[in-house]
Amino acid sequence: MATLSRPVPATEEKMRPNIASADVQLPAVRDYEQVDREIVGTLHPTVAWFIGLGVAILFLIIGASAWMYQIYNGLGVAGYNPPVMWGVYIITFVFWVGIGHAGTLISAILYLFRAGFRTTIYRCAEAMTVFAVMTAGLFPILHLGRPWKFFWLIPYPNWRYIWPQFKSPLVWDVFAILTYLTVSSTFLYIGLIPDIAVLRDREKTNPVRKRILSVLSLGWRNSDREWRHFARAYLFLAAFSTPLVLSVHSVVSFDFAMALTPGWHTTIFPPYFVAGAIFSGIGMVFTIIIPIRKWFNLKHYVTLNHLDAAAKLALFTSLVVGCAYMTEWFVAWFSGNEAEKAFFANRIWGQWWWASAILYTCNMVLPLSLFSQRLRRNTTWLFILSIFINIGMWFERFVIVVPSLSHEFEPWQWTTYHPTWVDYAILCGSFGWFSMWFLLFIKQLPVIAISEVKEIVMPRLRTAHAHGTTVSGEHQDYEADTPGEHD
Amino acid sequence: MRGVLAHFKELDSLVEAIEELKAKKTGDITVYTPTPRHEIEHAIHAPPSKVRLFTLIGGLAGVTFGYWIAIWISDYWPLVVGGKAIASWVPYTIFGFEVMVLVGALSTVVGLFITSRIPKLTMTVGYDPRFSGGDYGLWLECAPDNANEAAALLRGHGATEVRSER
Repeated sequence: MATLSRPVPATEEKMRPNIASADVQLPAVRDYEQVDREIVGTLHPTVAWFIGLGVAILFLIIGASAWMYQIYNGLGVAGYNPPVMWGVYIITFVFWVGIGHAGTLISAILYLFRAGFRTTIYRCAEAMTVFAVMTAGLFPILHLGRPWKFFWLIPYPNWRYIWPQFKSPLVWDVFAILTYLTVSSTFLYIGLIPDIAVLRDREKTNPVRKRILSVLSLGWRNSDREWRHFARAYLFLAAFSTPLVLSVHSVVSFDFAMALTPGWHTTIFPPYFVAGAIFSGIGMVFTIIIPIRKWFNLKHYVTLNHLDAAAKLALFTSLVVGCAYMTEWFVAWFSGNEAEKAFFANRIWGQWWWASAILYTCNMVLPLSLFSQRLRRNTTWLFILSIFINIGMWFERFVIVVPSLSHEFEPWQWTTYHPTWVDYAILCGSFGWFSMWFLLFIKQLPVIAISEVKEIVMPRLRTAHAHGTTVSGEHQDYEADTPGEHD
Repeated sequence: MRGVLAHFKELDSLVEAIEELKAKKTGDITVYTPTPRHEIEHAIHAPPSKVRLFTLIGGLAGVTFGYWIAIWISDYWPLVVGGKAIASWVPYTIFGFEVMVLVGALSTVVGLFITSRIPKLTMTVGYDPRFSGGDYGLWLECAPDNANEAAALLRGHGATEVRSER
């Protein structure tokens, strides 16, 4: 913490407060009380929230019913036929793991880089991470014919003659994803402690809730000692999480890259997967944060400056991902490997051309619009684009998984793949599961970090200082969505 | 534990009060602030946090355990494939790294708990719920003889409310 305010050189006026740069400032937020009042105010359930929760639970029930049907009738109902033994489930697994990456990226990497725009969006992204990884974790279990034996997946020596193979990417996955889930959840919870203390201290009417919040806040009192150690611990957690983000999706990419299958066996996969994961995660952050800022009336917290900066990050990762796509084509052509060339021809011009077209349009072409500052600051376009990015990133995983398995070395193996209604229902259920947890989260805990927002709000001072509080220079001035909205 | 608890509305008033109390060495000071501020940190001159030691020890223990568990299991239940090495350090670096992050992060949290003295089961003397909202608080632990003088000093610096507690 204490990241967004700049220490003032000692030569300057003694009591001039440390202030955030202009592109981070929240001019429509005047004091700490307003921060508490408005952010805590978002916790009251509304009719729209109940409707949203109901829809999420309905989707979840659809997915759960399809899973029950699959358990009863066998995995064959999910549309898997040799050699395409991975399909929607693994695609959706990688999709959700990817979504889970942006949370820790925004939270940890941008924290280390002192990127101020993270302040108002990182809590949302962190919660998204935890719930997305929880969703991803379901898919290895859903992919089992006998899911009640899921513990066979956990690599420990046993008397079932299943000895852990530590050279297998699937075992690496278990370690990487469990570490990621644990560290992400810890990071989210540690960041929440001061905010839970705010909720505890403001709770006057419900003694049970106050008691629960007291336990969850661990008796946090905002003392200088607590803040000092908290800041250091938070920094180290961020420093651990940053390489963890890069390692986890690299490990997920090894699930594919370690196989000799055409289209998979390539060294570009780890950076390609990491960039794709960050891109998809930022897309999902936009999908979530734009409605939240509108419905909860938080436009003066998640400002256009913040969205603009996040959109630049989306543009950058889109360009990285686009570069990776083109490198794949080049490597296939330059390698002289006939199987690889034939596979890529089939992927782009053959039976899977439509999936590739969706992928390239959503991930490479449409994000180029973000070169326009006007569109980066247009929340409607950002929301629409984020939906396209989500679709594009799901199809990216489709294009990685299905065309490779359906077009391996031997022509007699070449086949096609059709997902069944069970696949679609479980995909739908995964969105229901994720949304249900997220909706429950945003009504119990603050969706914007209260204590960090207070860092960028001007503290109350007895002596008005001559310098004022604005920082001139190249930063964008604050701009309300509607002119005069917060005057 | 006896002392004086002062409420401040303004940051600069609080910082001036801390500086004067520090200069006079009146007693141990605890400052409550809704958000961390550099100004308070500089006025208090606190030593660096010891959380880093927990992180270092946890990280080293984790990386050692990660390599060891992979090598030991491979050696004890060997899967011999193509005459390749039973324990191979390249893929096992993944376990070393992941377990380093896991144990390092968890020990950082343990370090935070120990150094910050949380969890606390009860709210200790000298805390007010307003300190997590918009007010700053200053708890000065001092002998009853000095309490009146300290209270006068704090009021002089703009404390909106000063009270003795024990």
